[in-house]
Order: sequence, then C-alpha cells, then structure tokens
Amino acid sequence: MSLFKLFLIFTKIGAILLGGGYVILPILTDELCEKRKLLTNEELVDYFALSQSLPGIIAANISMFAGYKLNGIKGAITAVIGVTFIPFWTIVFLASFLDRLVNNNFVQSAMWGVGIAVIALITLTIREIWQKSDKDKFFYFIFILSLVSMLYFELSPIQTIIIFSVIGILIKRSVKKA
Amino acid sequence: MIYLQLLSEFFKIGLFSFGGGYATIPFLFHISEVYGWYTLKELTQITALASITPGPVGINAATYAGLKTAGLAGSILATTAEIIPSLILVLITAKLLKNFSGNFYVKSLISTLKPISCALLTSVAIGLIKPEIGNIKSLILLSVLLLLSIKSKKDPLFYILISAIAGAFII
Repeated sequence: MSLFKLFLIFTKIGAILLGGGYVILPILTDELCEKRKLLTNEELVDYFALSQSLPGIIAANISMFAGYKLNGIKGAITAVIGVTFIPFWTIVFLASFLDRLVNNNFVQSAMWGVGIAVIALITLTIREIWQKSDKDKFFYFIFILSLVSMLYFELSPIQTIIIFSVIGILIKRSVKKA
Repeated sequence: MIYLQLLSEFFKIGLFSFGGGYATIPFLFHISEVYGWYTLKELTQITALASITPGPVGINAATYAGLKTAGLAGSILATTAEIIPSLILVLITAKLLKNFSGNFYVKSLISTLKPISCALLTSVAIGLIKPEIGNIKSLILLSVLLLLSIKSKKDPLFYILISAIAGAFII
C-alpha cells in the first residue's frame, strides 16, 4: 500500500476519533478489516492488547502497529502522523475558543450523544471479537480471571496484561510438556 | 530553552504514561504546577475538549501546552516528543513479533492476549455504562443504537453522527 493512501486512511480515522481513544478499535476494525481487508480481526485485537501494555497514547500505538504491518517502519510513522493530523489542527484552531466551546450547551448535549455511541460501538466490537474467537477452555479461563481481576480486584489494565500473559504462557508450556 | 523543556517534559509523558489517555492527566497536572504553561482551569477544559474534538486527550493536551508556550513550533514539538518513545517501543515490539512469529513463547503470548483483550474491552464497556445506568435517556439511546446494529452493520461514523444529532436536538 502506498504511503499516501495509508496517510489518507489514518487521517480519516483520526478525524472521527471522538469520545476518547478506545473508539479507535471499532473504527479500525471497520476501516481496515471489513472495508479494505488489509488486516484480520485477530491481528487488530493483538495490537490492541500490545498497545495497552506499552506506554503512550493507545490510539497512536495501535495505529503504529497497524501501519508497521502494512508498510514497515515508514508505514508506522505515516500512520501516526495521519491519525494525529486532524486532532492536532483542531486544537491549534480551537485553542482560543476553548472556554466558549466547552461551556456551550448545544455542544455538550451533542457530546453526551457521542459518549453513548462510543459505548454502543465498543459493545459491538466485543460481540464481534467474541464471535470470531476460538473459545476453548483456555480462552474462558483467562477471560474470566482477567475480567474479575480488573472489576473486583481493581488491577490496572497493564497489571492484568502482564500477570495473565505470564500465567497463559506457563499454562501453554505445561500443556506442551505433558 | 523553552523548547528543550517542552521536549523533555512531553517525552517523559510519552515514556511513562501507561494505560492511555487519562493516565497522562497526573503528568499534565504536575506540568501545570511546575511550569505554569497552562492553568488548572485550562487543563480541565483541555480534558473536556478531548471528548468534543477528535483525538486522544494526551495528544490534545500536548498540542495545547506547546501552542500556548511556544506557538505552532512548540505544539509540533510537544506532540512529536510525546509520540517518539512509544514509536520506538512499538517498532521494536512489532519487529520482534515478526521475527519470532514461529517461536513457542510468542505464539502462546498471542493466544493469551486474545481473551485478555476481550476482558479489557468488556471492563471498559462496563466502566462507561455504569454512570449511565440511572439515566433513562442514555439507556434509550443505547438500546436504539444496538437495535439498529442488529438490522445491518453500519459505519462507526453513522452511530457517532446520529447520536450527536439526537443529543443536540432531540434530548
């Protein structure tokens, strides 16, 4: 894929990245997996977890992983420039209206709606990943334990990823030896 | 000098903020106290702005702080400085994954990451839904959106736009 086209795709993704970074996963799934068939759903899900385990902005990290897969180092750099392009210029142009914009009722109500859309989009993504994964005992075991650790024991995502990656690898190893 | 400070402060944020957008807030708070590049009130507004403009809060804050302290050059510098550490780490990780894709440990890691990702997303969704549970309007809009998705799967932008319109005009 040409770098220019890659840039355009990620610029579009950055432009609709409303309501926080998590919405990038539904948007990327739609844009790269379904419309263009450039990546598989599974690859994106891996990138999502890896992006959470690395420092920095998740939306930028996952774009760089996807960009790297599509066009190597140049692809990663192009993707991150693309995804930050519109957000960057929006702030530059809106900085002087910050006060008025944030306190505008109309804008606030519209953004409440966007917040709900983000919940719906994330729910749909979970459903999709769920349908497309091979759910063996191992999958359920890791899924339930890591969910419980976050919801009840309030482990952070990064703690959860590290602990359960180690547990997962140890299980796989003992299964292989047996 | 100001350029060097912007560079090092936002590089630090990029390197040490684990867990995405909102993890950067304590760092941004610290910057406002130490350097006064923006006030606390402005920081609150940047955080609010992050939800009404495209893009992650961490990027928005870097752009804004850079702009206020050193103009357009400052905003480019701060934003770039914040991304560079994760760019390096992502490239290393992606390369390792590619070179060792046949390795037993890498394969095990990948198959473990899937259920963990599902759990992460589920906990994000639960965290987002929780504050809305008492709000009838939110629940109605959410149900309408989910019902729409059963009929046919649409572009994410579609959901974002109709919800923004519903929020602004109807509810």
